[in-house]
Amino acid sequence: MGVDSFVSWLRDVAGSLHDNAAYLTELDSAIGDADHGANMDRGFQAVVGLLDETSFDSADELLKKAGMTLVSKVGGASGPLYGTFFLRFGTALAGVDLTPETIGKGLHAGVEGVLARGKAELGDKTMYDAWAPALDAYDAAVAGGSELGTALTAAAEAAAKGRDATIPLVARKGRASYLGERSAGHQDPGATSTTLILESAARTLP
Amino acid sequence: MIGIVVVSHSRALAEAAVGLAAEMVAEDKRPVIAIAAGLDATTFGTDAMAVSEALGAADSPDGVLVLLDLGSAVLSAEMALEFVDPELAARVRLTSAPLVEGLVAAVVTASTDASLDAVAAEAERGLVGKQDHLGVAAAYAAPVVEADRTVELVVGNEHGLHARPAARLVGLVNGFDAVVTLTDLDNGKGPVDAGSLSMVATLNAQQGHRLRVGASGPQAAEALAAVEELAKQNFGDGPGSAEPAPAGSPAVGSAPGGSGLDVAIGPAVLAGAQIDLGAYVAGDNEHGRLDAALATAGEQLDELRDNHGDIFAAHLALLRDGKVLDDVRTSIAAGASAPAAWRQVYDQLAAAFEGLDDAYQRERAQDVRSVRDRVLRLLVGVTEEAPTDGILVVPELDAATAATLDATRIVGIAVRAAGTTGHGVIVARSRGIPLITGIGDVDVPPGAVVSFDARTGSFEVAPDEERVRATITEREGERARAIADADQPATTRDGRTIDVLVNVGVVQDAVDARGADGSGLVRTEVLFGDRRTAPTVDEQVDAFRAIARALGGKPITIRTWDIGGDKPLPFLPQDREANPFLGERGLRVFRRRPELLRDQLEAIRRTAAETPVHVIFPMVTTADEVAWALQELGPRDGLEVGIMVEVPAAALRVGSLATELDFVSIGTNDLTQYTTAADRTNAAVAPLADGLDPAVLQLIDHVVRNAGVRVAVCGDLASDPQAAVLLAALGVSELSAVGPQVPLVKARLRQADLRRVDTAAVLAARDAAQVRGLL
Repeated sequence: MGVDSFVSWLRDVAGSLHDNAAYLTELDSAIGDADHGANMDRGFQAVVGLLDETSFDSADELLKKAGMTLVSKVGGASGPLYGTFFLRFGTALAGVDLTPETIGKGLHAGVEGVLARGKAELGDKTMYDAWAPALDAYDAAVAGGSELGTALTAAAEAAAKGRDATIPLVARKGRASYLGERSAGHQDPGATSTTLILESAARTLP
Repeated sequence: MIGIVVVSHSRALAEAAVGLAAEMVAEDKRPVIAIAAGLDATTFGTDAMAVSEALGAADSPDGVLVLLDLGSAVLSAEMALEFVDPELAARVRLTSAPLVEGLVAAVVTASTDASLDAVAAEAERGLVGKQDHLGVAAAYAAPVVEADRTVELVVGNEHGLHARPAARLVGLVNGFDAVVTLTDLDNGKGPVDAGSLSMVATLNAQQGHRLRVGASGPQAAEALAAVEELAKQNFGDGPGSAEPAPAGSPAVGSAPGGSGLDVAIGPAVLAGAQIDLGAYVAGDNEHGRLDAALATAGEQLDELRDNHGDIFAAHLALLRDGKVLDDVRTSIAAGASAPAAWRQVYDQLAAAFEGLDDAYQRERAQDVRSVRDRVLRLLVGVTEEAPTDGILVVPELDAATAATLDATRIVGIAVRAAGTTGHGVIVARSRGIPLITGIGDVDVPPGAVVSFDARTGSFEVAPDEERVRATITEREGERARAIADADQPATTRDGRTIDVLVNVGVVQDAVDARGADGSGLVRTEVLFGDRRTAPTVDEQVDAFRAIARALGGKPITIRTWDIGGDKPLPFLPQDREANPFLGERGLRVFRRRPELLRDQLEAIRRTAAETPVHVIFPMVTTADEVAWALQELGPRDGLEVGIMVEVPAAALRVGSLATELDFVSIGTNDLTQYTTAADRTNAAVAPLADGLDPAVLQLIDHVVRNAGVRVAVCGDLASDPQAAVLLAALGVSELSAVGPQVPLVKARLRQADLRRVDTAAVLAARDAAQVRGLL
């Protein structure tokens, strides 16, 4: 695998987020400011524009540039959060062979960046509630000798479970936290977009 | 002038907020204000890159203040700090101030060329005006004034800015035509009005904390200069004085003192019952009645202050606290009677003190209650029940009572509450009035004959009077003889000579000591505790030399810096720890940063070249730590080396720790609190932390049997003559006591036959009470 897989991934993510933009915004309208779908779509359309204009020699350069684009174009809190994820993911991949192990390290680095930026904890009803089980499932699959595809599929499935588990939670971070108890009963938009990104990875990266 | 950056989701919002703030200041005086808001003119969102560009545009050598709205604005601004030059990032302050109000305050303050700190402080107070108007009490409301100038200073007082130094500060500040505020830079509290004692005291500024003092008004400069001068004198507590004054220091009051014994007998005089407001009939002039009561209380306290000193200056400041009086008057205006309003507000204030972290500060609640009751008595027309003859039994002892009671008639005081650092307790001790604390809820009928013996910790109702009077006579004789014989060695009847030494915190302790065979403990952290900066090697050598000289060249045992736990050193700041007594204390502090320890060891080696010196390392747990300490010490050249045994783990494996040592010294206070897992400054569990608990004594016995070297004791237990005999019988060969107790400990040892102490029974005892019974 090489940089082309990552280009395919980012294009696929952009498509998936575009198709799901209304859905994400609907989720966000229940407990936030009704802009997550539009924000993510805008950010990733800008990433597609970047891919159309520029060709990249390495996955780390590509991911870092994509991260910077998200930082500037998303607008909401997911801008700095996903921006940080891709920046750190890319940084971790610089100068290493792309293997299930190194990609796992990269995902961990990215999510640690998300945590440092957002200061969320498990159960705060945020994207981290999808990332955390996804990383555990990915690590377990790789430790068990799985190929990248199998590991990413396991990660996406775990993320989906984590996403569903956000429904009863009371939000403790972000705009949704202003709603307090009223945020319970709604699925978290951030955990939903994280799941879409991982599902796309399972389809395109291997 | 500082620069300002506004980060918002909405460009329209940011531009309007900037417009609103800019109106406040003429164009040529405005700071640079850069905006990073919206993804474009109409799309909501924030962009970290745009924020970093705005930071560059607003950059100033004086710093940049960033005001933000919410959510991604905060994340984007934090991210921008990672994008810009680290030197620029270091000059940037992100503030949680409200966007609109904070920006207005920031622009106005920045236009005066105020510092980044001052502008940020004003911005953070942006909501106070609105909260005040709408009747929402801010937690630490301060007048919304710009500090024209600020200074920073460090609290040097051992107990922090507690009631007495706070009262001096408040009194000083209120003498100037200036508004002065205080901010504790270490705990983040404030700014508070430095003219309000309740505000200053609840700031909870501890020793070593840095305070920012801001002042404005015609005499701002003079006020700050005066505050700086007062701070240099430790706010009137004097240089390095252990505040409160230790027992044995000159009496606070001029009233005649007590017997100086630790035993007393007499009829019980009960006091301190809650004042009954039931019979009070409110009139239509409650404000007037309050004013009359305040005036009389003020006169009483003025007189008490003149005769008995500063504690009553603190009471006066509490009485005249503008903030508190406002609350009382507001409550009266809302329909409450004067005494009900007064009691309610003072109860709340007392509760606020009781909620503070520091035990010493917590006990200040009794000062509040004392002032509360003084005014209540005047309001309801109850005359102060002057205790007559006998033993005063009180729930807690306030300083007013302790200082003014007639010690020729009140022969002793029994306090139900535990705790030994209350103002009242200190005053009573300094007057030599026999005192026992922590007697609890014992039922005492008024007038019943009661007795107590603080030495054994016993309090009895209807005791055997003859026996008690015999004890009193015996103690009187004992005290007189002990002082006369202080210089004789402490040789027991069975021929063992125990060295009795003195604990030294300040050089004067060594000068005052009578009969000490040297110093078993030089507390270096106390000796230099008033310093803002670390003492040089030369300064340390001078101090050690002075102590050795005062003790006639007898050996002195210097303990290396014992900081941490409750003993901070201004020149060695430590991180806050959730559990400081189990954290970086004593030797542990220096494993990461050994520089200060190395200087001290150099000073100790140089002193040892002139006079007999021993060195001990505190808070040792493992053999690795001993090896490390010995390596840091280097060649010993005749220097005797030991460790403190305070940690139960060290006591249990003392044999393996002491292989390279000359002696060990047991710190019974810490050993007791670690063994019983009880904080003796916490009244609720203090009775558990009893040094005579058989578990502690078993550890001491184990240390004596297994150390293989000389064993000393330097905790409180060694100052207790009865316990000293037991320690000697267990095989301890050296006791280091507080100065005034040295003659008494020696005298008691001379009378003892150690063979007749049933150590086996003591070690097998059920609890500390049974041990006392056996002694």
